[in-house]
Amino acid sequence: MSPVTAMYVAQAIHGLTYGMLLFLVASGLTLIFGMMGILNLAHASFFMLSAYFCYQVVAWTDSFWIALILAPIGTGLVGIIVERFLLRKVQKLGLGHIGDLLLTLGIALVISEAVKTIWGTESHQVLIPPSLQGLVTVAGLEYPIYRLFIIGLSLVILGALAFILFKTRLGMIIRAAVSDRDMVSALGINMPRVFMFVFGVGTLMAGVAGVAAAPMLTVFPGLADQIGLDAFVVVVVGGFGSLLGAVVVSLFLGELNSFGIQFIPRLAPVLVFLFMALVLSFKPMGFFGERDE
Amino acid sequence: MNKFVRNLIMWVVFLAVAGAAPHVLGIVKTNVLVELATFALFAVSLNLLLSFTGVLSFGHALFYGVGAYTTALLLYHVEGFPLIPALLLSGLAAGLAGLILSPLLVRVTGTAFAMLTLAFGQLMYILCLKFREVTGGEDGVAGYDIPPLNIPGVASLDMLDSTVFYYFTVVVCVIGIMIMWFFTKTPLGQVVVGIRDNSLRVDYLGYRVRHTKAIIFALSGFFAGIAGSLFALFQGVVSTDGVLHVMVSFYPIMAILIGGIGTFFGPILGSGILIVLEDMIMRYTERAELVTGLLFIIVVLYVPGGFVWLWMGLVARFKARKLRMSKEVEA
Amino acid sequence: MSTSILETKDLFYDYSGLQVLTGVNLQVEKGERHAIIGPNGAGKTTLFNVITGLYAPCRGKVIFKGQNVSGFKPHKLSRLGMGRSFQITSTFHNLTAFENIRMGVLSRMGIRFNMFQRVDKLKDVTRETDVVLRRINLHRESAVPANALSYGKHRALEVSLAMSTNPDLVMLDEPTAGMSRDETHSAVDLIRRLTEGKTMVIVEHDMDVVFSLADRITVLHHGKVLAVGAPNEIKNMQEVKDAYLGHGGV
Repeated sequence: MSPVTAMYVAQAIHGLTYGMLLFLVASGLTLIFGMMGILNLAHASFFMLSAYFCYQVVAWTDSFWIALILAPIGTGLVGIIVERFLLRKVQKLGLGHIGDLLLTLGIALVISEAVKTIWGTESHQVLIPPSLQGLVTVAGLEYPIYRLFIIGLSLVILGALAFILFKTRLGMIIRAAVSDRDMVSALGINMPRVFMFVFGVGTLMAGVAGVAAAPMLTVFPGLADQIGLDAFVVVVVGGFGSLLGAVVVSLFLGELNSFGIQFIPRLAPVLVFLFMALVLSFKPMGFFGERDE
Repeated sequence: MNKFVRNLIMWVVFLAVAGAAPHVLGIVKTNVLVELATFALFAVSLNLLLSFTGVLSFGHALFYGVGAYTTALLLYHVEGFPLIPALLLSGLAAGLAGLILSPLLVRVTGTAFAMLTLAFGQLMYILCLKFREVTGGEDGVAGYDIPPLNIPGVASLDMLDSTVFYYFTVVVCVIGIMIMWFFTKTPLGQVVVGIRDNSLRVDYLGYRVRHTKAIIFALSGFFAGIAGSLFALFQGVVSTDGVLHVMVSFYPIMAILIGGIGTFFGPILGSGILIVLEDMIMRYTERAELVTGLLFIIVVLYVPGGFVWLWMGLVARFKARKLRMSKEVEA
Repeated sequence: MSTSILETKDLFYDYSGLQVLTGVNLQVEKGERHAIIGPNGAGKTTLFNVITGLYAPCRGKVIFKGQNVSGFKPHKLSRLGMGRSFQITSTFHNLTAFENIRMGVLSRMGIRFNMFQRVDKLKDVTRETDVVLRRINLHRESAVPANALSYGKHRALEVSLAMSTNPDLVMLDEPTAGMSRDETHSAVDLIRRLTEGKTMVIVEHDMDVVFSLADRITVLHHGKVLAVGAPNEIKNMQEVKDAYLGHGGV
């Protein structure tokens, strides 16, 4: 393999890693939006919260694997509490989208400040578990095992999500609710419980991504800034509530980011927003969106 | 006449309090008031969009930042640039930014509008961070001279004097807020409210919805730019995190909500509550935002109309009780 | 020169593949009250929305006052003198009845971008708005927000909002939808009074309303004009009866 090709492949896998993480965050966000009509501005905060949980669990138990299980579950539980006691309340106030946006904005602020209060503003290191350290040679190219692990982990989660959505009764209800909310609630299904489940799973997935990202990026208060904004871009561009859109756009953004940094380092962060601004201006519902919210 | 007398009394009280404040409170507190006035102007300019046009902007920092950078760069590069032109040019630059973005902004509403403005705000933030040879990156632009206010033949007021700068800021902010208040009372201001309620109907009544919205974006941007310019004059340094960070966009939203969405003067009250509260909390803890964030959630959930409505509700209840009591006396 | 104020020529519209209008030729004479009727799914509402500029026609022309206005935006049509009401009440719900009507009056007087005068200082606007409110018997509710009005009064406001720009042609989309018998009765009176000397096109389900208001009727069926005529001609036409009973037209 020539060095140039190798660079391209490395950059592509790099982009894929980030794209997969982004998908884990964005898919929960888009599902929540599709079902409940809420654009959860606090979604990325759950990603960050989980990374801190991970750091804490590793500090206590010295095991990344236990953290990989416990931190997302803890995050999911926080998500369920937020849904049950805050979001459900604001939806009843009838402020419309502005109410949801404002409440979740408040939650995001509080989580980010709470994190700083508890763990301080400095960076915390989470070590890659020994079994995932080092490089592996794939087709004549050396690549960090941990990044491949992230891609694998994301695929497993994606598979599980697809299974739930397409092979179970609950998944059927969720999909139906995304396409027509009123119809499903008219069928006598306990929608509040389904909402709670979806919100819990969405935050759990963001939590998994947070744990996976922790050893790569270190844990600090600004951890979720980039992925959070990128996840909004994914939801908006991919189409509010569209899972297919989330997959496609996440992977695209991952690559855009990765190659952008390679070729136009100064403008790379701008590309994402420029992309979103263009799409929104000409296709306000996104590429795969069906409904105008 | 009654209304006229009431307004007159309110103005007299306001001028007396605002005039006496720096002499009673001392320099530190006076500076807090400068911040408050600037922030109130900024929040009211955003409120033109949120309460009157019915769109939630997550990128208002863009206009604030354009205003602040315009002032800083003008004063840095052009020696002896006068004060008022710097202020006005900053407003115009921000208004122009609103006008430039308006062809895209007028096409969307709701969540899409919030996201589009967020995107533009972040674009500006990143651009200013990356083009450090112009903006100084995260260090920002600093070390420019603050020009005095020259009134030919009368006086030259030194803006580095805290008290003088305080009076200058108050005058600018009061004029700005009054112009915006007047605007909401004009025919165009009415059309804007109509767009908030039912933009399709406004279209069918023969108004150009998109042009009208473009005007309001420019106007709102102009006053946000003026607020940014005041910030630049006050702080003497303009950096990306100071004027373009996404929190700069979120903060006035909190002020509007806490004060009272859907009202004109609510955001001013909200600005006061936020700034004073923060100033008080900062004495005890570094994490003032945690408290304001919690307060914000509580307001959204329990006082969705903000403190103005809370106050009006209390007044109404008080009046009702007085009425009931007087009836009982009669009976 | 024909006396028609509104004409459509071979109008086509399809909604994501579904053909809704398949060559509509409609003619509305100046000064008449013209009703468009037809069974459900005949394309009445679509025709209405194409004429009033909500949708652009796929093919064909809309001619208003001798000018081709196909694809014109609503505000342009309004300025040319076309007004419309909505089937689902669509006023400015947080504004008072007075402010609602004033919105139309301002536009009629060409005050659309004025931001240098207080609107309540514009004496002639206030006077004119009061006149309109009095005419529709809403002057006592002038300070009441639109969404706090009774259903009947809210519908009256809806129709008068369409008239408030003083259009030459007013298009009414099921103005009596959802009304009780009594409310319908007074609505018909109001419409008759307001449209005196004007041209009106009405889409309506309620045949009593149609026959008591219209001078001429166009029957729409399967996206085409089935029949045109005076009310008693239409009443007795076999094709029309068949269309409504569902065994014609196939």
